[in-house]
Amino acid sequence: MDKKEFYAEIATVLELEPGSIKGNETLEELEGWDSMAVLGFIAMLDSRLGLIVPASSIAASRTVEDLVNLCQGKVTE
Amino acid sequence: MAGSSIAGAAVKGLATAVPEHVETVQSLARVFGEQDSAKIARSIGVNTRHLASPDQCTSDLCHAAASALLRHLQWDPASVDALLFVSQTFDYILPATGCTLHERLGLSKSCATFDVALGCSGFVYGLWLAYSLVSTGCRRVLLLAGDVISKVTGAGDRSTKPLFGDAGTATAIEADELSIAHFELGTDGTGNRQLIVPAGLFRRPHSLDTSVATERENGNVRSDEDLYMNGAEIFTFSLREVPPLVARILERSGWAKTEVDAFVLHQANKFMLDHLAKRMQLESEKVPISLAYFGNTSSASIPLTITQCLRGELEDRKRRLVLAGFGVGLSWGAAALEIGPLAIPDLIVVP
Repeated sequence: MDKKEFYAEIATVLELEPGSIKGNETLEELEGWDSMAVLGFIAMLDSRLGLIVPASSIAASRTVEDLVNLCQGKVTE
Repeated sequence: MAGSSIAGAAVKGLATAVPEHVETVQSLARVFGEQDSAKIARSIGVNTRHLASPDQCTSDLCHAAASALLRHLQWDPASVDALLFVSQTFDYILPATGCTLHERLGLSKSCATFDVALGCSGFVYGLWLAYSLVSTGCRRVLLLAGDVISKVTGAGDRSTKPLFGDAGTATAIEADELSIAHFELGTDGTGNRQLIVPAGLFRRPHSLDTSVATERENGNVRSDEDLYMNGAEIFTFSLREVPPLVARILERSGWAKTEVDAFVLHQANKFMLDHLAKRMQLESEKVPISLAYFGNTSSASIPLTITQCLRGELEDRKRRLVLAGFGVGLSWGAAALEIGPLAIPDLIVVP
């Protein structure tokens, strides 16, 4: 999966328009990034990338870029 | 543990009892707002929950379920050799709640009775214990599993309040030479703090501090005597453990997925169940869901789902069921068993 697709997946989780995430956002400024969105994100990583990342590392993430970095190289430029 | 296969016992009947009081999404809107309540309900798949009144305990619900089941099966209470009470919400620190139920059900003095402190995985553990007891000489075992978890959810905690409902169940297990059941059980104690009521007993006794509700993560309001649930941790734990658990129980039983009539999973929440079912490639019609009307009822959720969703299929014929419970502990268990025809009384509503 490339970054553009990854951002679109996050937008889907947040019920936003596909192009609305640019990648330079902090999670705090993302509309709808709450505990339920985190579950949606975990489910997306599992079904799209076959990844189960530790919940604590998601909780420690501050930016969309941090989320990319959780994906163990499975999200490409 | 490597799992076990136990011959010589079979489930003969199940009953479920719920409190009369029902809370709806609309009543949650008063606390969390209309929009949030609707969004939460959509995600967790819970529209209504039966909640215990202040003077209703788990034992009251299990007592109602057990009485109805004994009557339905025409079992003489004196013929019950063992009573197991599985719960996270006991009536007292001591004695065992099972002993109080022993009195109320009029069981005999030769009946072995004990409590098991487990929740989401508790029914499967209880079934495994009941089958084990029969294999060592008991003839009839009553397994009572239930919880009133709503009593320990913070009124302002959106991670727990809209999700948990209360219920008590009774399951009758009897010696049966022709029957066999398979079990897989496990524990990850390192996750014990992810689903916990942190205070109120001996580790952190009740005090003014522990009983005051304050604002916590994501604006949730609760006290340290209320249930804390780290939903993200529980979800990743379930993704990690449940698919391999179900694969192991299928392997142990020798059944293909297509040969199983229903996969009855602990009713954690709809989002999680849908994802797990998809991940395990289970046909959705084989994964019954009772959440919409009852919420997550902890140790009662698997037997409640059997009585409410599979009654018609189990009353007159044999069915192959795979059961899987997972959660608080962290603890998990799966069972594969062929059961039926079963005695299943109507849902009991306790005023």
